[in-house]
Amino acid sequence: MSDGQFDSYIVAVQKECPDADSETIAAQFLKYQEDFKIPPQDSMRSIIRSLNSTKAVPSSRASSSSSTPRATKKVELLSELKSDDKEIEIEVEIISHNLREQTIRGEQKQIAFGLLEDNPWAENGNKNRWEYKDWAPSPNLAPGSIVRLEGVSVNEYNGKMSLNINQSSRVVVLREGTRTVVAPGEPQDIAALPSDGYVCVVGRVLSSREDQIHKKDGSGSIDIVRGRLADESGTIGFLSWEPFSHEVGALIKIDGAQVRTFRDTPELNFGRTTKVELFHDKNFADTDTLSKQTVLTISDLRDGSRDVDAVVQITEWAKRTFTKDGVEKYLWSGQIADPSGRCRMSAWEDLPIDENNLPITVKLKGVRVRAWQGIPDITVDNAGQVEILEKSPWEDGIDFSTQTIEVPLNELASGASRVGVSTEAIVVSVREDSGFIQRCTECRRVLRDGHCATHDANAGQSDIRMRLVMDDGLASMSLLINKEGSLALLAMTEDELSSEINSNGQLDFVQTLRSKMLGRNIRASGRTIVDEQGGMMLADSAELVEEDAEMKATEIRAQWGVN
Amino acid sequence: MQASPRAKRQPAWHMLASEFRDATLHEKGSGEFDPSFVITKLGAKVNRVVVAGLLERLEVRETANGSTLYQGQLRDPSGQHYFSVGDYASEAMRELTTTLTERIEVGEPELVLMIAKARWYQTEEGAIYTSLRPEEACIIDGKTYANWITRACQGTIDRMDAFSASLELEPTEQAYAASDSIPANLVEGLVTSRNHYGEIDLEQYKLNIMQALDIAEGKMSSATTPVPTLNVSPADEEGDVAEDSSEGSDLEECALSIIRQLDQGDGVDFEAVLSNANARGFSRQDSEAMLDELSEKGVIHEPRFGWFKIVE
Repeated sequence: MSDGQFDSYIVAVQKECPDADSETIAAQFLKYQEDFKIPPQDSMRSIIRSLNSTKAVPSSRASSSSSTPRATKKVELLSELKSDDKEIEIEVEIISHNLREQTIRGEQKQIAFGLLEDNPWAENGNKNRWEYKDWAPSPNLAPGSIVRLEGVSVNEYNGKMSLNINQSSRVVVLREGTRTVVAPGEPQDIAALPSDGYVCVVGRVLSSREDQIHKKDGSGSIDIVRGRLADESGTIGFLSWEPFSHEVGALIKIDGAQVRTFRDTPELNFGRTTKVELFHDKNFADTDTLSKQTVLTISDLRDGSRDVDAVVQITEWAKRTFTKDGVEKYLWSGQIADPSGRCRMSAWEDLPIDENNLPITVKLKGVRVRAWQGIPDITVDNAGQVEILEKSPWEDGIDFSTQTIEVPLNELASGASRVGVSTEAIVVSVREDSGFIQRCTECRRVLRDGHCATHDANAGQSDIRMRLVMDDGLASMSLLINKEGSLALLAMTEDELSSEINSNGQLDFVQTLRSKMLGRNIRASGRTIVDEQGGMMLADSAELVEEDAEMKATEIRAQWGVN
Repeated sequence: MQASPRAKRQPAWHMLASEFRDATLHEKGSGEFDPSFVITKLGAKVNRVVVAGLLERLEVRETANGSTLYQGQLRDPSGQHYFSVGDYASEAMRELTTTLTERIEVGEPELVLMIAKARWYQTEEGAIYTSLRPEEACIIDGKTYANWITRACQGTIDRMDAFSASLELEPTEQAYAASDSIPANLVEGLVTSRNHYGEIDLEQYKLNIMQALDIAEGKMSSATTPVPTLNVSPADEEGDVAEDSSEGSDLEECALSIIRQLDQGDGVDFEAVLSNANARGFSRQDSEAMLDELSEKGVIHEPRFGWFKIVE
């Protein structure tokens, strides 16, 4: 097969390495091509090197000639600047502007300082804010104005960069200070509310009930009102610290409400300075239309959600008793599912459910959501919140309890924690603590040097797990595979694994895993926990996906349409 | 504008060497822990990559402060990546590096796949260099390499499509975000790239992909190109005068065409000329000598140190 195909290359190699015979060279080319898929033009250098490895000549460039005069450095973004940049030209928006007296070299001077923001013409986009100092306060700087700064310089102090507007700098006003700050009195869509800060909202009251907050120190309780507001973009819960008498269905305007995010759920807080008044708008959506938005699927559930409506299938239901303060109490809990996923549900009252005749479909109204280890748990406080449906909205006989839902990694990483999901992505890291670990006998947390963070020194219990990172090019997620899943993926028994690690060492074992897995496609199923630090999947099974590169390449070529 | 307490892990791009090598733009947020990116001409904001190829060189360099630094080159169908492994790397990475260095020394070829962080730096003179710092790597077989190639090709094609779509639009984030043809993860990078690089030529990337796909498909003969002119040894004993001068003029032509092609107004940096000439088979040393020669002849000039322009 290799007959003649490398001839011209062999000649080229022999020109460099006259002593090498063509057979050897041809064999080398063939090896690269067959074993490594490296064509001769790419393997030639390596072959010459290995045949004639003495001639490596380091190239260097030592001469250092002219230093060019610094010209104006025109940039668009602050991130393009370095700490020693001078004579910069940039367009920015002035966010804040303050004056202060400062003694400079014994002289009282007025200087201005504040915040500025780059990328001023982009509506939203990526904007960066830096502090600035104006050493000869320009009358042209005002909050909200967009200006071109010419001849300014970067100042770096303790790793923090700021801009200096110098005596010689020029400030050109491009837009007067007419910043459209989201001002008081300007209502925002509920779906677009920030996760904290003061806002103005117009919405219809979907629910409202009096409640009490008991102070933790036992010094009494505060009367509050809880409820839910909606506009066409979405709904949000509210908590009023002041008397709130608007009825369900009322359309109100709330100015100066504070958004606070509790667990993963934002909530409006009405306090003394909040203005709540009736609002008139005939075209505003009615209560019925708006309340459809409170119907959520399991994949939508967030820790801390309240007033949730949902239709779910109960697949498991059991009574648990426990003793609290010497009193025996009980609670019902079990598994529920809908086409979007699975989660848990708990009830503090008896529900008209026959645990021996499952699954059944129920409609839940006004329930709340807690999460445990990231998994949503719907809490039913009273039986009135549950309505048993004769007929499920899904096809008869579907049992969701064993379903696994295929979800793209990037969706998992940016969504809520979920149960019963699987995904496919590339392995980009094999962590060095993959293999045997010791778990705390109390809380099952992984021990570090024989210590648990809460239970201190600990004999520990041996377990096996693999810790990887998977990545689909858009997002990444930690992947923790449990003992059964790990052993199945490795195709090893516990004893085999233990003897391999004992004879070759942990580092070698991890490097072997990397050779098997890095850059490969893995499919994993289990549940996910997502928080602000990123996501992880706790998988009970995982397998490497076999791929046919030849076929895929042909497919890519066909779809690409370039030949 | 509060920064999140801990930045999320940056995703990894599957990328051919040519796209990464062509990148000269860098972006970093002002915060201490903000990630830094190299932005490619096709708009990928690269913090981390998955790359693979033939390990072509790996040598230890003693640095001034006594620490050890390994420098290496990884060749894929489109060109080379430069990477370095220092004392800061994990124990496993350093151990693998030592093993690989030994293999290279005895002439044992290896295919390597690495997950690496993109590095960007600018010398005082203004020359821009990019390189990789592998976090984790492993030796792979031809099959895994072929699979990697298909992913890198698919990624490049997707980025080229988005790039072409962006040409029809105002270079703003709004316009790009509203377009169905531009994936969300390319919006920011494409705006920055379009504003920085100006016009770019996709032809080279297309050729790279076609060749890479040939390799993945196992069509090695179509992936094979004519023997490049290789100037590994400085003194060519057999070459007669005529041949020498013809090689010289090849290199001269090559260097001039590189500068002409890559010049976007500020000239072309030293490293870009050398690595491009190298990709066409001229050694770095010869190219460097040629740059000096051309400067002396007055064919090119150096408006800034390390940046070359053709004298008009």
